[in-house]
Amino acid sequence: MPELRPIIFVVDDDASVRDAITNLLDSVGLHAQVFGSTEEFWRAPRPDVPSCLVLDVRLPGVNGLDFQETLEKSGVSIPVIFITAHGDVPMTSRAMKAGAIEFLMKPFQKEDLLAAIHHGLERDRLWREEEAQISALRERYQQLTAREREVMDLVVTGLINKQIGAQLGLSEVTVKIHRGRVMQKMEATSLAELVRMSDKLKPRIHDRFF
Amino acid sequence: MTIVIFLHVLYVGRVPQRSVVATKRRLVSTRERIRSFLQRYGIALFGVAVAFASTLLVQGLFPYPFLFLFFGAVMASAWFGGTGPGVFAVLLSTVVVEYFFVPPFHSFAISTSAEAYFGAFVVCALVASWVSSAKKKSEVALKHGLDQLEIRVSERSAELMKTQAELAHLSQVLSMGELTASIAHEINQPLTAVVTHGHACVEWLSANPPNLEKTRQTIERIIQDGTRAGAVLSRIRALFKKEAPAKDWFDMNEVIHELTVFLRDEATRRRISIRTDLVPGLSKVKADRVQLQQVVLNLMMNGMDAVAETAGHPKELLVSAREEDSELIVRVEDSGIGLDAEMAEKIFNPFFTTKPHGIGMGLSISRSIIESHEGHLWAVPRPSGGAIFQFTLPIRPKESHA
Repeated sequence: MPELRPIIFVVDDDASVRDAITNLLDSVGLHAQVFGSTEEFWRAPRPDVPSCLVLDVRLPGVNGLDFQETLEKSGVSIPVIFITAHGDVPMTSRAMKAGAIEFLMKPFQKEDLLAAIHHGLERDRLWREEEAQISALRERYQQLTAREREVMDLVVTGLINKQIGAQLGLSEVTVKIHRGRVMQKMEATSLAELVRMSDKLKPRIHDRFF
Repeated sequence: MTIVIFLHVLYVGRVPQRSVVATKRRLVSTRERIRSFLQRYGIALFGVAVAFASTLLVQGLFPYPFLFLFFGAVMASAWFGGTGPGVFAVLLSTVVVEYFFVPPFHSFAISTSAEAYFGAFVVCALVASWVSSAKKKSEVALKHGLDQLEIRVSERSAELMKTQAELAHLSQVLSMGELTASIAHEINQPLTAVVTHGHACVEWLSANPPNLEKTRQTIERIIQDGTRAGAVLSRIRALFKKEAPAKDWFDMNEVIHELTVFLRDEATRRRISIRTDLVPGLSKVKADRVQLQQVVLNLMMNGMDAVAETAGHPKELLVSAREEDSELIVRVEDSGIGLDAEMAEKIFNPFFTTKPHGIGMGLSISRSIIESHEGHLWAVPRPSGGAIFQFTLPIRPKESHA
């Protein structure tokens, strides 16, 4: 995967704070894109590059914490770093439970913000890699015939060919042929790898794409 | 009788000597006492003399000694002079009556037939003197009591006014307390910008070579944000100050605008939209800016509390200002729970509150502030639901604007 220049999205209703964050990120060679409200950010196009979101809690319209939920529900996965002038414990715990990278009090220290941003970008990079892998696996899985998928689903449960044949009403030799094709199409070198692939496919199929 | 008077003067005039100043003061007061003494007994003497002269004139008309005028003299002496002059008048009258009007005339002897009559006169005169002086005493006591009462009432109302001023300040501080979060936010934003720019500045300078142009730009922004934080602080200080009413010319639109900005965060947090309808170029009013700010703030906070309790409706607050018949009218309308006519008056009573944590002083104080500016503050139900709070302020001729 080619290394793309990451974007740090910043949502804060205060223009001077937005300006200052842009300046700070600029000074350490990071590219920031700023918005005055969550609505503005929501409407803006988001290029397919590693990114994270620096989000103010108190915002006009939808506040930061509610917006974090909205993102989660709409399946947009972007690491969130909260910044706020008056955070309290319930607010912090709600944000962290919902998967925020960090909850920073304004005024924050450069090291804390940059560390959180790097952590966020790293997490996004991992997500993106994993997603790329999964979508590749999905493509391979799509190429399997219905019979091959049936055979694969049983193979990964640990059944031997004879048992699979009995369950599907096929001869052991036929199962062996299907199994060979599955290994070939899924580009798996061992049974263990095929099991891991199947694991990666299953939860993602349900949680992430549908 | 003169001996009695003389002895009395001697007794009253006898004073121990301590210092020259004290002696002088006592001499003055002794002289005053003698004068008052002479006046009081003089009244008795004069009264009896008048009664004697009048009786001499009319005595021929009656077959018996006509003595009633002496009662008048006794009562008047007791009334104006007190017990002493009253008794003195009784003695004087007794002597005069006995000598001139009780047979045998022009002698101190008393005929047997006149004994009862004369006795009755003396008793009646004594009773009249006693009744009159007692009545006078109670009247004086009553008057003294009333004076005391008046003094205490004025003392208490001065105390109450002081308490009210303190409460006005307290309620200001309380409503400020609710806004602490807002204030923290307002100061923290520029502060955050300053700190963040500062970090950026270090980065620009640490670059190789240092980026001086970026550094300069950053420092300029730091100056701007620092100035902004200072402005926020001085605005808050003005709101918190406890000062004597200082009347000044100012623009009500400005006050409303400032408060709208000030409450914006709070309103956003509570999902309330605040709209303003301000007629441009309103006449300035001469009033205590901080107090008026407090009134408008209080009405707006109340309005926000009222709409916060409604569910479903759009949560709206409308603040308007206009001029009508040389009066400035400021209205705060809300789409909240509203009020009926009876409630509209009750809410201005001190300690009346509908809020769980309210102390019920806000509207009462607001009304007294407006009235101290010769204006009126009242509430009416809003036709489309909610309430309208409005106040008027008189507008003075424009040429007095400084």
